[in-house]
Amino acid sequence: MVPKDLLYTDQHEWIRVEGDVGTVGITDHAQRSLGDLTFVELPATGSDVAKGAEAAVVESTKAAADVYSPAAGKVAEVNESLEDDPGAVNRDPYGDGWMFKVALSDKSELGGLLSPDKYAEFCGDEA
Amino acid sequence: MSDAKKTFLYDQHVALGGRVVDFHGWLLPLQYDGILAEHGYCRTQVALFDTSHMGQFILEGSDVAAGVSRLLTHDVTRLPVGRCRYTHLLNERGGIIDDAVVMRLGEREFLFAANAAPAPMDLYWIRHHLAGDAVVTNQSEGWGKVDVQGPLAYDVLAPLVDGDLASLRYFRAARMTCMGVPAIVSRTGYTGELGYEVHYPGDALPALWSRLVEDERVHPAGLGARDLLRLEMCFPLYGKDIADDSNPLEADLELFVSTVHDYIGAQALRKWAAEGVRRKLVPFRSETRRSAREGNPILADDRPVGVVTSGAFSPSLGVSIGMGYVEAPFADVGRRLTVETARAKLPVVVSEKPLYRKGTRRMKPSELRARTAGKS
Repeated sequence: MVPKDLLYTDQHEWIRVEGDVGTVGITDHAQRSLGDLTFVELPATGSDVAKGAEAAVVESTKAAADVYSPAAGKVAEVNESLEDDPGAVNRDPYGDGWMFKVALSDKSELGGLLSPDKYAEFCGDEA
Repeated sequence: MSDAKKTFLYDQHVALGGRVVDFHGWLLPLQYDGILAEHGYCRTQVALFDTSHMGQFILEGSDVAAGVSRLLTHDVTRLPVGRCRYTHLLNERGGIIDDAVVMRLGEREFLFAANAAPAPMDLYWIRHHLAGDAVVTNQSEGWGKVDVQGPLAYDVLAPLVDGDLASLRYFRAARMTCMGVPAIVSRTGYTGELGYEVHYPGDALPALWSRLVEDERVHPAGLGARDLLRLEMCFPLYGKDIADDSNPLEADLELFVSTVHDYIGAQALRKWAAEGVRRKLVPFRSETRRSAREGNPILADDRPVGVVTSGAFSPSLGVSIGMGYVEAPFADVGRRLTVETARAKLPVVVSEKPLYRKGTRRMKPSELRARTAGKS
């Protein structure tokens, strides 16, 4: 499942760009590989994140993983409901499972991300 | 993965969509629906596990009880027929070769249920050291096993068994006929819930499995859920929490160590008991969901005093839990320690075991019979 209206990283994050704000989460492929999520650590609202830098942490019944921001900017909002319900990422990775919103500092960075087709191809190659 | 062996139920795991992994040389499902879901099935309904990878050895002979007692931390000469004991096979240094459940099937017959990885060593050790006329048969070559575990385990298994399953109390075992096939049924398990282990001929096992999963209360479950369930009960996992370089005293298992009979390793244990062990295996819990992981250092006042051997988020408790070895002075219940995970310092508190206290494993025969009566 790779929605067509998002951009992707090769670390299995997605970003939905609406105006100057990007909403970030992990992909269906990522949540399936990790298995049931048990813990999500979100960035602080108002903090700065760099492109490709660690912004959040997810833990599952099997492993822990860093979530890297697909783009630089200031964290505008975080999905606090994940702190009590990390399973939302498994149930709805592209919807209720969103993690944080970034006020994008440089939209030209988005050009380096993977298109849905490229990401689907990437996952296929990896499998 | 090519060398890994298939259990008698491999085709069932694949057909049911199990995510199969290599576990100590056996192809077994890590999960089907998801580890958390399967954990929940076991705590509320019934989880069905394929445990055919485990060793099953039949020990027989006129003086087998005395012979096998010399290899175990429990004196099974005094174990009544039909009872099971959790016990340990030790080396001369007091190190744990395996932890096992031994079942007395008759005056002169025992079933020794071994972990998968150490099973070949156990078999060698038992055959090598067992004196007298005792004969050891490796039943696991032709037999497998399923664990039927959960508060409704009696309800789903009783209709398939020709025998009085309700009367089989916790840690009892008996030969019974199950779906017309001779089986050995023990009321044991690794989950803390009411449950049975059904030792069963391998060629008939797929039919038993299929019949059980037809029941909507029964859910196949994998190694992931099994690991969580046992950790909530603080049951050690061989190879992680205990091994041949740890002894039962430091693993907080002295309850299962006899001081009244002689066995291989007893002398070493007496020495440990007199000197005091340097480290202890302790359960701990945190106040958050963030998990400690195997290998994480345990700190007291920023000084390393131990290491995590098992760690996970506990769905039953809603916080992360674990076990690990700490230096003896830091092992008291209530002691606050810090686990250094890869990403954070996690405050934990040494806790009493079991961490999960609502298990149904000791449900009485009268309670089980009342349930059946209520339905008819």
